[in-house]
Amino acid sequence: MMATNSISSSSFRLFTTRIPLSLHNFKTPTLHPTPSKSFLFFKPITFQRLPPTPSSSSSPSPPPSSLQPIEDLPPKLQEIVHLFQSVPEPKAKYEQLLFYGKNLKPLDTRFKTNDNKVQGCVSQVWVRAYLDPNRNVVYEADSDSVLTKGLAALLVQGFSGRPVNEIIRVTPDFVTLLGLQQSLTPSRNNGFLNMLKLMQRKALMLYVEAEKGGGDSGGGELNSIESEFNGVVESESGGGSSKNGDFETRGDEGDVELGGRGKRIREKLERELEPVELEVEDVSYQHAGHAGVRGGDGETHFNVRVVSREFEGKSLVKRHRLIYGLLQEELDAGLHALSIVAKTPAEVEG
Amino acid sequence: MWLVMEVLLPKLPSFKFPSHSHCCSITSRSSSHVRFGFRRISSLSICASAVNEAVAEPTIDSPSLGHSTRPRFPILHQEVNGSKLVYLDNAATSQKPTAVLKALQNYYEAYNSNVHRGIHFLSAKATDEYESARRKIASFINASDSREIVFTKNASEAINLVAYSWGLSNLKADDEIILTVAEHHSAIVPWQIVAQKVGAVLKFVDLNQDEIPDIEKLKEMLSRKTKIVVVHHVSNVLASVLPIRDIAQWAHDVGAKVLVDACQSVPHMMVDVQNLNADFLVASSHKMCGPTGIGFLYGKIDLLSSMPPFLGGGEMISDVYLDHSTYAEPPSRFEAGTPAIGEAIGLGAAIDYLSGIGMQTIHDYEVELGRYLYERLLSVPNIRIYGPAPSEKVQRAALCSFNVENLHPTDLATFLDQQHGVAIRSGHHCAQPLHRYLGVSSSARASLYFYNTKEDVDNFINALTDTVSFFNSFK
Repeated sequence: MMATNSISSSSFRLFTTRIPLSLHNFKTPTLHPTPSKSFLFFKPITFQRLPPTPSSSSSPSPPPSSLQPIEDLPPKLQEIVHLFQSVPEPKAKYEQLLFYGKNLKPLDTRFKTNDNKVQGCVSQVWVRAYLDPNRNVVYEADSDSVLTKGLAALLVQGFSGRPVNEIIRVTPDFVTLLGLQQSLTPSRNNGFLNMLKLMQRKALMLYVEAEKGGGDSGGGELNSIESEFNGVVESESGGGSSKNGDFETRGDEGDVELGGRGKRIREKLERELEPVELEVEDVSYQHAGHAGVRGGDGETHFNVRVVSREFEGKSLVKRHRLIYGLLQEELDAGLHALSIVAKTPAEVEG
Repeated sequence: MWLVMEVLLPKLPSFKFPSHSHCCSITSRSSSHVRFGFRRISSLSICASAVNEAVAEPTIDSPSLGHSTRPRFPILHQEVNGSKLVYLDNAATSQKPTAVLKALQNYYEAYNSNVHRGIHFLSAKATDEYESARRKIASFINASDSREIVFTKNASEAINLVAYSWGLSNLKADDEIILTVAEHHSAIVPWQIVAQKVGAVLKFVDLNQDEIPDIEKLKEMLSRKTKIVVVHHVSNVLASVLPIRDIAQWAHDVGAKVLVDACQSVPHMMVDVQNLNADFLVASSHKMCGPTGIGFLYGKIDLLSSMPPFLGGGEMISDVYLDHSTYAEPPSRFEAGTPAIGEAIGLGAAIDYLSGIGMQTIHDYEVELGRYLYERLLSVPNIRIYGPAPSEKVQRAALCSFNVENLHPTDLATFLDQQHGVAIRSGHHCAQPLHRYLGVSSSARASLYFYNTKEDVDNFINALTDTVSFFNSFK
């Protein structure tokens, strides 16, 4: 994970740890939407307590405070929730549910496949999902039970035409907001849960497939967020002199990243010690920001690993003193610290 | 003053009281309601039928069996979803009278102890009660010997016992097992598993035009290849009753055994295994006012004696060595481990309770109430009730599985529960092959027991009518 860079000349926006780590998970189809991590970068988070619905006789207890805030739901779903909350009587809620189901566009029989079937439903329910040209998910559903059809219609209306990230962050507990929960038997509720999960899973799968297949900058919030995130990584490595380096590169090749001082260190050690192995690594970035760095051109800390016969018979202290002696000029000119590994060939082989 | 009125009613049954009850007091009212008391002592046999002149809704105010037993069942007196509970799911499980609840509690409070091997007082008492329960079951179904009763967890386990123990050691490749398409999954699946292991073949009897398993076809299917016939006594969906005695006769003629699934019959009528001549019979406690977790297998003693163990463990052994063991005699041979002692005793208490009422009494009451349910259901438009129509020859159990056109049974059951507190079941009732045969995915089912009343049925029908019109208004 990158540390924040105090370089003020950079032009990119600094992201703090408010970037949810689960963004990384988008590449893999795992689904862990949690209410506590907000995906909203551009709106302040409000966790307001939902007032207990005064008229609903079927839900005596107020919803738990850990409920996903209603503002996090897709707009149409918010409307639906408000509608059901305003209908107090269970029977009237059923009527509302049936009304939704009635207006649900019928699903073509060829889409009533096993892949589209919701498991754990007492009746038969199918859900079909596909992406529209704007990469929003469109849903179609059907059921042989009218109550279940109503529930499916609810979800279809609430989610259809919305982008993937909006859909997958919705948690199932909005069902309690509808006030239908107690009006529906537990087995039916499970079906509802499974319906929602299937719809979210399908949305994610569609997204993943589209990313694989496309690669062109499609629309959708998700893409721009990702590229911005990638942009952070790139610009940091671009600014200033070589910093990242390859941790793994051996001294002989790949030292392309070494700046002037790094090269000088290398040359001197090579000339004076005739090493069997030599690794010079610029780790100045790790120390950026603390006292020794200020004013330098950035090449301040190095890791050095030398294997040479010159060290034979010399104690560790003497070896280090030898190296320091060779690099005295640099030390005077801004080299701040060396981390040294000095071995003889025999020691390395043994 | 005795009031005896006989009025001929074309459609609705008259509420006769069975022969060993007698009327104790009658008060006549101006609206010609008649009160009958119900007693179990049979000194007088008086059969009186009194019916209100208003034919459409008989309003007899008589404490029927349902009314007189209801107070014993505390669970029935509650409200669900704002309405009084109307429990009509007895084919799934029955409710328990306080006598059974007390027996269970008393067991744990007074003498809970492991059975059969203890020396001390408590364990002796527990063993006594446990074995006494076994004897009660034996006499309840008229087994010749209490050793013919094997306690199991439920009827499904009992069938598995027969399949794995008797089936695996007696069935070979190409042997035939005959079942009907109306069997419960627990009667089908264990035989599928065993048949696959040995290479035996399952054959299924279809329904006839009355929607009863076709007995003639069954007869034709029997051959010397048939090794066992597995049939229900009473169907949990069709409510039909099979002639077990005849079936057993025909099966034995070809050298086949008979396993009877009596889950829906033992709780509701007298079942005499010797009369039926069944080789195996299974039933579960929880459908007959007993606790869950206990059931039994009845098997003829010489059959059981020839069968290898099903589950291994303690109790079912005689001597145990490192490399082999010898086994106990039945029934212990098939009862490995600590049994559900309290539950077995609870089942014994349930049998006491049922015997106290009398199985004939219960049966007669249910025949009446069942027919009332059937006929009132028929009045619902676009309804299809599965199974045979009740008649002189054809008896139905007190349950009805049905579908209303264009109304999914799950929607129906949900609405009935939510708006009216009526508990019925919807789904395939563990009989998917039957539903497939009937061409439906699922059905709704209302099933009665002796503590249901006429009012229960009326409430159900009113609720059903309301439900149907609610959903129809959305068409």
